[in-house]
Amino acid sequence: MTTVTLQYYAQLREQAGTSIEQLTTSAASLRELYDELRTRHGFSLTSDALKVAVNAQFSDWGRALGEGDTIVFIPPVAGG
Amino acid sequence: MKHFSLSSVAFDPAQLRTTLQHPGSGGFCTFEGWVRNSNEGRAVDGLEYEAYTELALAEGERVVEEALVRYGVLAAHCMHRTGHLKVGDLAVWIGVSAAHRDEAFRACRYIIDEIKHRLPIWKKEHYLDGDTAWVACAHTHRAHEHEHAHEFASRTPAAETAFAPDYSRQTRLRDVGEAGQAKLAAARVLVIGAGGLGCPVLAYLAGAGVGTLGIVDGDRLDASNLHRQTLYDAHDIGELKVQLAAKRIAALNPTVVVQTFAEPLHAGNVAEVFAQYDLVIECTDDMHSRYLCNDAAVLTGTPLILASVYQYEGQLQVVTAQPGAPCLRCLWPQEPAPGIAGSCVESGVLGPVVGVLGAMQATEALKLLLDLPRPTDHALLLVNLLEGSTQRLPIDPAQGCVLHGGCVEVARHALAQAQDERAVDLAFERLGDAIAAGYTLVDVRELDEIAAQPLPVPSRSLPFAQIEARAGELAQGRVLLVCATGRRSGHSARSLREKGMHNIHSLAGGIAAMASARDQVPGAANDYRP
Repeated sequence: MTTVTLQYYAQLREQAGTSIEQLTTSAASLRELYDELRTRHGFSLTSDALKVAVNAQFSDWGRALGEGDTIVFIPPVAGG
Repeated sequence: MKHFSLSSVAFDPAQLRTTLQHPGSGGFCTFEGWVRNSNEGRAVDGLEYEAYTELALAEGERVVEEALVRYGVLAAHCMHRTGHLKVGDLAVWIGVSAAHRDEAFRACRYIIDEIKHRLPIWKKEHYLDGDTAWVACAHTHRAHEHEHAHEFASRTPAAETAFAPDYSRQTRLRDVGEAGQAKLAAARVLVIGAGGLGCPVLAYLAGAGVGTLGIVDGDRLDASNLHRQTLYDAHDIGELKVQLAAKRIAALNPTVVVQTFAEPLHAGNVAEVFAQYDLVIECTDDMHSRYLCNDAAVLTGTPLILASVYQYEGQLQVVTAQPGAPCLRCLWPQEPAPGIAGSCVESGVLGPVVGVLGAMQATEALKLLLDLPRPTDHALLLVNLLEGSTQRLPIDPAQGCVLHGGCVEVARHALAQAQDERAVDLAFERLGDAIAAGYTLVDVRELDEIAAQPLPVPSRSLPFAQIEARAGELAQGRVLLVCATGRRSGHSARSLREKGMHNIHSLAGGIAAMASARDQVPGAANDYRP
């Protein structure tokens, strides 16, 4: 099990009802983690519509989770 | 009674005036356009108007009807001359009667502005020196842009010469100085969207003395804009934002030349317009515009500053459009489907949040124009104003478009696709070619016409008269409407596209233009090509 910090932006923040949370998970990759979160929070966006960053660096979805990672999911937004 | 007419001979406005008298009218407003004796410094002897009559009548009628509805006036008429006119002749007459004066003035102004902008009427000027010239169509982007540039920037030469801008507070900055100020004066910046982001961008760039500002926006001011769009006033509601913004900038810094585009840019002109500017700032709330601008910026090598907002948060990205630098598609390769990304209308937004992001865009613009120190890497900046936090995420170009052939290749492909989707009238040698290209054929002819000349390929039947009502059935995929000559299908395709259905196309020239149909049409056998 890995404990990570999750940050949400835009629609994801709204759907999760929080902008930050800690989670202990057995997910092996960022993609698996996001799928787990989709079920938990009912996120409407799929991972291909998002960018993900780990510890302030963009990352690919196949990356394994590290203890204490800060993971940010970023949807494109259009308001103006 | 018709609301718009063309006349090839001099007409008497007094007669028109009586048709607009109404017992409920308390105000009557007229506008007369006359032929003047000069244009852009050249002495004019007379001129000649040429109209595409059918379209001018239909569009003119529409303009006046829009004014009637928009301002709730009681009666209105517009008459436009065609043919030869002398200096002093009446070229256009507009009369509006209304319960109160305010709506009469506004409707009158609306009609003349829209007529000049939208009607296919061309003007040939005859100069005193014997020369003649067709003056650029007033209904195209450029002429419209030019008119406003002229109107707002140079119409008041007295104010312009009387006002000497004082840039001392910024030239005092060591990295700016007089040399930096000269760079700003020479700069041409295009701002796309004069809304929540665009207002601070325009205000700060005009204040800073950017020499030329282009503004693109097709919207009119709505009361719901005022909580975040700080250039505008409550009494401006209903007016075109580009005109309001141009006036505001002229008031703020009369030395700035303003160019306005009162319709959104599209795949057919975006690259050409970008090429006229040094820098573009994307300030719309429209995801399609963001991708279109990204592609045009990459293809023309024009730096682009993107920002967008969601409720209390924003994103900022500078696309420098230099070889090897990442673009928007390096982060999110595909434009999200409509509705995915949220908008201020759907999701709500706190007014100052767009102000902050717009001010950041203006800052980035000035940094680029002035060559101020900026980080050498490229990043997406996330701003969360609820938390008061920012996060700067460096973008690795090696993980972006380069995996799909590079930004330029990706942009070229995407823009070509957008151009294809934009084209209404499509020509095909054979109907089979359209099917092979992925179009669903929809035959809009009457059933007896179809029985007399059935299409040689699979198609759906949806008669012309029912299209508007059954438009929902055409929402999916690429649709090619077909009729005998292309007239009915073209009309339907255009009206559906006005409702946002950009997947609808029309077969140019209709069945009559089909190679495979010619051998079936009596008398056309000689045209047959194998």
